[in-house]
Amino acid sequence: MIADAVYTVMFYGFSAAVVILALAAVNMRQLLRAALALMGMLALSAALYIMLRAEFLAGVQILVYVGGIVVLIVFAIMLTRSSELLEDLPRTSTRWYGGVASILFMLVACGALCMTPFPVQSNAEPAGDEIRKIGLALLEQGSSGYLLPFELISLLLLVAVIGGTVIARKTRPRNQPFTTGGDLHGEAIVQAARGQGDVTPGDRHS
Amino acid sequence: MTEMLARFAPGLQEWLVLCAVLYAIGLYGLLTRRNAIALLMAAEIMLNAAALNFVVLNRFTSPQLVDGHVMALFVVVLAAAEIVVGMAIVVALYRIRNTVDISHMNYMKG
Repeated sequence: MIADAVYTVMFYGFSAAVVILALAAVNMRQLLRAALALMGMLALSAALYIMLRAEFLAGVQILVYVGGIVVLIVFAIMLTRSSELLEDLPRTSTRWYGGVASILFMLVACGALCMTPFPVQSNAEPAGDEIRKIGLALLEQGSSGYLLPFELISLLLLVAVIGGTVIARKTRPRNQPFTTGGDLHGEAIVQAARGQGDVTPGDRHS
Repeated sequence: MTEMLARFAPGLQEWLVLCAVLYAIGLYGLLTRRNAIALLMAAEIMLNAAALNFVVLNRFTSPQLVDGHVMALFVVVLAAAEIVVGMAIVVALYRIRNTVDISHMNYMKG
């Protein structure tokens, strides 16, 4: 009884906090504050995972999202000077279209969810050894295992690391396609200001 | 008081509605933001809602299995990969065009 009451209070409290922080993350004009709101929202999602008895996922959530992705977002905001240049306010019509579309989506989704009979197993408690089961499932071959997706996702991570490095790298490699040209434009300006060399901005296309 | 609160203990529907609300908020951000980094942040909210949905359904329909947890792990890894490549593209575009406003990104327009 007491446990159920506490669970209810925690659910609605955490849900309200997560929803408010998510709204702040999509509405704030200052991007650094929006990133901070996103960080709070992701950290509170870890609390929701713990309420669902997924403690391992809560740890992963904190490590990857809060420790990695939010830091990356903050770095990108600083690198692109988005915090100095305040984001332009979206047009009112865009705001209305987006709001109407997302509210309609939410209504349709909630209606469909409330009408669907799910095979709920009430009173079924998790066994408590989820981490062991996750490890076994990730390395198990066969119909109930996830060995192939596990290996494929490691390949995906490798591709993401290489792709991120190649796309965002600064200097232009010689005779290689698929790069953005770096910031040779800016370097040309700096060199011209120093009065040495006659590098023109159009040089990067040569 | 405690009886009333215990009677309103959240079931599957309440959890799924929470996920749907979070997803709709992410959708709103994706449709209205103009800054590319803010778009990626909205996409993170949507991916988080999807991962939460997997775990909720796993908890309420088959708590003895961990398939939902594994899928949520994959979603987290995909989100990390997506944000890495997305941020690289945004930073590269900023170097070229000095803006991250997506309404100015019309290089590929015919």
